[in-house]
Amino acid sequence: MGRCRPEPHDAFGMMLVFQRSEISAMSVLRGFLWLLVFLMLGQALVRLFHIPMPSGVIGMLLLTLWFGYRGGMNADVVRISQPLIAMLALLIMPGVVEIFFVADQFADQWTAILTALIVGTLLSVLSSLLLMRRYLPQSTAESDLRSADHE
Amino acid sequence: MSDWLGRLAQLPQQWFESPIAAITLTLGAYFIGIRLFKLMRRPSWCPPMLIAAIMIAVIIALLPIGVDDYNRGASWLMLLLGPATVALAVPLYQQLPQIRALWKPILMTLPLSATLAACYAVIIAAVMGAPENVLASLAPKSVTSPIALSLAEELGGSRALLMGALLTTGVTAIFGVEWLSRILQIRDPRLIGLALGINGHALGTVRAFEINSVAGAFASLGMSLTGAFTAVVLPLVWHLFY
Repeated sequence: MGRCRPEPHDAFGMMLVFQRSEISAMSVLRGFLWLLVFLMLGQALVRLFHIPMPSGVIGMLLLTLWFGYRGGMNADVVRISQPLIAMLALLIMPGVVEIFFVADQFADQWTAILTALIVGTLLSVLSSLLLMRRYLPQSTAESDLRSADHE
Repeated sequence: MSDWLGRLAQLPQQWFESPIAAITLTLGAYFIGIRLFKLMRRPSWCPPMLIAAIMIAVIIALLPIGVDDYNRGASWLMLLLGPATVALAVPLYQQLPQIRALWKPILMTLPLSATLAACYAVIIAAVMGAPENVLASLAPKSVTSPIALSLAEELGGSRALLMGALLTTGVTAIFGVEWLSRILQIRDPRLIGLALGINGHALGTVRAFEINSVAGAFASLGMSLTGAFTAVVLPLVWHLFY
């Protein structure tokens, strides 16, 4: 009692474990198939209508619309999307490696690049914080705190 | 004996003829990077991805292979970026109720913030005399990586430079949000989360989840909307100028 997973030391339990992992593997593959189909739909739209946008983004928007139309998310897609999104850092690492080898190609531009990135990012953080403080309705706790500050 | 040594010397070259070696190296470095990151007590200025990338770069430099040999194999991993971009539909759809409840303030602030995030950097770099391909690599700097990569490709930027820009931007945005929100006395986790997601893409979102779950949810909202908005608008605007 209270044990939710069969111990794999008896033949029957082993079979259950296999069956279960087979079900989840199938679900992951089905979810992957969904993603690939929507990616291809995105590629098709990009080619057909000369949309100047990445096909993955079109696929993402189409899939969001599809979820909205169906009134919920497909469980298979949710299951595959979690590990895929968690893997993003791994997937872009090869690109980061390349920067160490092409660095001298941009040798005379590093000051411009670094200034643009660091000053630009600090400025955009500042303006988005100010903008949102102006327009985002304050939660009650926050406004209480604020009025207390003013007194 | 010298025959055997000769074969040993050729081994790295032969390994990297198939993509297996590059994928193994990337995966191995990734896990070692995460472990070192934890040992260094999670410094916000040095994400695990950077540690792993430095390790891979050192190994490539030591072995008698070029970065092109590595890239040829690693491109098999990057092939997964396409489906991973489509998978971002899941967090986007999950945030729809939040978007619906706050659509007015979001409409007032987010497109402008996302535009400014790209404009400041491009204008500063252009004023300092950077050429077009550098500008194209800097423009998508605040967008989540899979979208940013395909954007840079679309605009004709350098992939490697964009990756460096993404990393620098993420680290600067985390520092900037924490520093400036303290100066401006902003404590609302929704606001801090949104600012982290809009300016610091995935790196900022990870940081927001460390603050609390409200900040995390708003950061992923900011990240997905900035990604979608920039992906739609940036190519259109860019082709007006170049």
